[in-house]
Amino acid sequence: MTMTATTSLSEESPIRPGTLEVRHLSKEFPNVKALTDVSLDICPGEILAFMGENGAGKSTLLKIINGDYQSDSGTLTMDGKRLSFSSPYAAHKAGIRVIYQEPEIVPGVNVAENIWVGELPKRYGFIDRRRLNEDVRHSLVEYGFENVLPTDLLGDQLSSAQRQLVEIMRALKSGVRVLALDEPTSSLTDEEVERLFALVRRLRDEGIAIIYVSHRIKEILRLCDRVAILRDGRLIAIKPASELTEADIVRLMVGRDLSDVFKRHPSASDHEVLRVDGLNSDWHRNVSFHINAGEVVGFAGIVGAGRTELAKVIFGELPKTGGSVVLDGRSVNIHHPNDAIARGIGFAPEDRKREGLVLMRSVLENTSMAIMRQLSRFHFIRQHLERIVVTDFVEKLRVRTPSLEQEAGKLSGGNQQKVVLARWLAAKPKVLILDEPTRGIDIGAKAEIYHLIDDLANEGLGIMFISSELTEVLGLSDRIYVMQNGRITGELTGTDATEEAVLRLAMSDHLSAAPIMAPTQEDSLK
Amino acid sequence: MSKEITTRSAAAGDSGAFKKAIGFVGTDNLSLIFALAIMVLLITVVSSWFGLSGGSMFFTWQNLMNSLAQAIVIVGLLSMGESVVIIAGALDISVGSISSVGSVVAASVLIGQGVVGGLHILPTGSVLAAIFAGIVAGMIAGALNGYIVTGLRVNPIIATLGTLAAFAGFAFLLAPGGKPIGVYTVPDFTWLAQGRFLSNWAVPSLDKGHWTGIPVLTVILLFVAVLVHVIMRYTDFGRAIYAIGGNATAARLAGINISRMRIMMYMLSGSIAGLAGVLLTARTTSGNPVNGVGLELQAVTAVFLGGAATTGGKGTIMGTFLAVIMVGVLNNGMNLLGFNTFIQQVALGFLLIAAVAISQWRQARTEHVRTRIAAEG
Repeated sequence: MTMTATTSLSEESPIRPGTLEVRHLSKEFPNVKALTDVSLDICPGEILAFMGENGAGKSTLLKIINGDYQSDSGTLTMDGKRLSFSSPYAAHKAGIRVIYQEPEIVPGVNVAENIWVGELPKRYGFIDRRRLNEDVRHSLVEYGFENVLPTDLLGDQLSSAQRQLVEIMRALKSGVRVLALDEPTSSLTDEEVERLFALVRRLRDEGIAIIYVSHRIKEILRLCDRVAILRDGRLIAIKPASELTEADIVRLMVGRDLSDVFKRHPSASDHEVLRVDGLNSDWHRNVSFHINAGEVVGFAGIVGAGRTELAKVIFGELPKTGGSVVLDGRSVNIHHPNDAIARGIGFAPEDRKREGLVLMRSVLENTSMAIMRQLSRFHFIRQHLERIVVTDFVEKLRVRTPSLEQEAGKLSGGNQQKVVLARWLAAKPKVLILDEPTRGIDIGAKAEIYHLIDDLANEGLGIMFISSELTEVLGLSDRIYVMQNGRITGELTGTDATEEAVLRLAMSDHLSAAPIMAPTQEDSLK
Repeated sequence: MSKEITTRSAAAGDSGAFKKAIGFVGTDNLSLIFALAIMVLLITVVSSWFGLSGGSMFFTWQNLMNSLAQAIVIVGLLSMGESVVIIAGALDISVGSISSVGSVVAASVLIGQGVVGGLHILPTGSVLAAIFAGIVAGMIAGALNGYIVTGLRVNPIIATLGTLAAFAGFAFLLAPGGKPIGVYTVPDFTWLAQGRFLSNWAVPSLDKGHWTGIPVLTVILLFVAVLVHVIMRYTDFGRAIYAIGGNATAARLAGINISRMRIMMYMLSGSIAGLAGVLLTARTTSGNPVNGVGLELQAVTAVFLGGAATTGGKGTIMGTFLAVIMVGVLNNGMNLLGFNTFIQQVALGFLLIAAVAISQWRQARTEHVRTRIAAEG
């Protein structure tokens, strides 16, 4: 696979000055090979796209280039000089900037000061405001943004697009040579996107090397000169955009055989355990779906499509503003996770360390947490009963722990996830919501969890299976809903459920014209 | 050969009992017992090497029962409630002021003076009514704390810092003209502080001085300590408190009603502080609005010294109890050795910092172990 990359690389030589040469970069995290032997050139005067599924290694690569991470092996070279960044600041000094989705802006100071932050012009020890404002206005006029970005706006009054502009201006001021944009259009309007594209093209023509990371295939094909495709931490292909079609890119991004770890014995019945009709919330518009007993229903989409929030709205953790939830034929009103559990819904959240487990408490306490009411009599826990029930599920899920008294935080990721699952199985729900149940756990534990999901469905549970890993959604689900921007954009069953179909529904650009202005989850919880 | 077996089994029996004892105290609390032993050794033996007399008075029934066992009661009670709050990851620094309110309310009901007593809802002169009134006053104050923290979403430190001031002032408002209410006229009530149980037991004398009986106050402290221990260890409420302190989001997603638990926990802490106020009235023979001033510091110190985590989720009533004894021994020992109260204050302040520093160091260590294990997968 890397052969493809090296061949196309050799065509690029001789190397132009100002080219950032990436050679044999590898980076490993506990249990995950994030990047394996990636080599490519980022040339001045071109826009190079990085594409890949979630977890393909794009952000790791960006973070190494930006000095956020250090690679385990491999080199970065520019103009014959070996680069090695201990921090983003070191990368900035070498002329390399990565602009992330939400750039860091100082909220209380104005645009001009934000652009100059860290190196404000001084005169007699005081900030030289006149020079500052003149300089900023001059550069804004030069790029035609004087009307879009008033210099006296304060940092917290800026829109996403304006924040990005501030960050780009910062980069230009410090003489950037390699500029990377990470999902820059995800929260921009169409008009703002056009303006950004014009700016990016202009910067390219001025001889800056540009890296453009996006999920939006159409944008990439319109804007970029070359496309690099990553999968499982490896560079799969790097080709001129003119030689690629949308379908090619999708195939290269996913092109993986379904491994035989997925064994799903269809067990869906006609009995509907969960029906959601016209659900609205701060994150969702008119979401309707249903799950039958014994059915594994996959929810696919890119990160930020609103799947986690959907689970939380149904579970009563986040508020809904409209629509109905019918559980086992009865309309229910759920305001608190407590209500949801009492009605027979279980929810294993995406982030098990922050939301799933009480890490400093024991396996026993974590497992019995959701069934305290059933285990207690006059508020006294029947400890013998508790031990029997917990032992039962801990054994059933084969949680590897030295004892039930072991702190949950001292288990491995896979075993922690099993403790969360054991808790919900003990609660005997009718519907089990699993949000990214295999994230960050090793492949062996993954296979065990797939097997378990199949078993549970066979026992009659309705399972809402949220995952960003296409292979497992496709391999395990009886039916798949695809979400995008807080809406369900499609339902796929049987032979229609292909990776290409899911990706198209998850990333189709025609819906981006009217993005929902969704507040972040933290904001609304305050 | 058979002899060998018997000795072996005897040894096994010994270690079994030893293990049981450790299990009862908790392995985390062994260091507290060790520290306590060192402290006692410093007071009784080492001090005499430096020519300080008075240490020899430590092991007398007079000192152990009358000074030490009584002195720890009020702080001991407050720290029982405080333990629950700190384990839940919050803080209640208003307990001193609540006990002032409890003190005034109890005296007010008992004597029939002041705002509450003047209402004559409860029978004047009844000891039980006075105790009840003091505890209920504390419970209401605790409920207000709970509402401010959950309903108004004010950070627990700020909320109870506010009520610390407010309740202190309120205690003055409840007293007639802001003056203390004397209760020495009701011996049944002052018996709470002066009474002794089992005073005619034939307990051998220690060194100097005879058996004095167990103070009623100490028995009340033991009763409350056991009660809170049972609540924390054997009830769903206790479990919920540990879970909330460990990870509030995870607790909520596991179906725990966090707001209700927090209000209940502040009510528990408030009720105990109210009871402490009642006992303060009995001990000082007056319902005095300044009775509880400054007690929160000692209570919080004892809880952290007892091994509770500053982030919540960890800590035991047994640990707090041992720490209360330790603080008591420290004060008692300094009294015996002739250090003045200002030095004691300085020592107590630094003890709080040392206790938290140790707790932070412990957390950092477990955090380190956790990440290492996670990395090894």
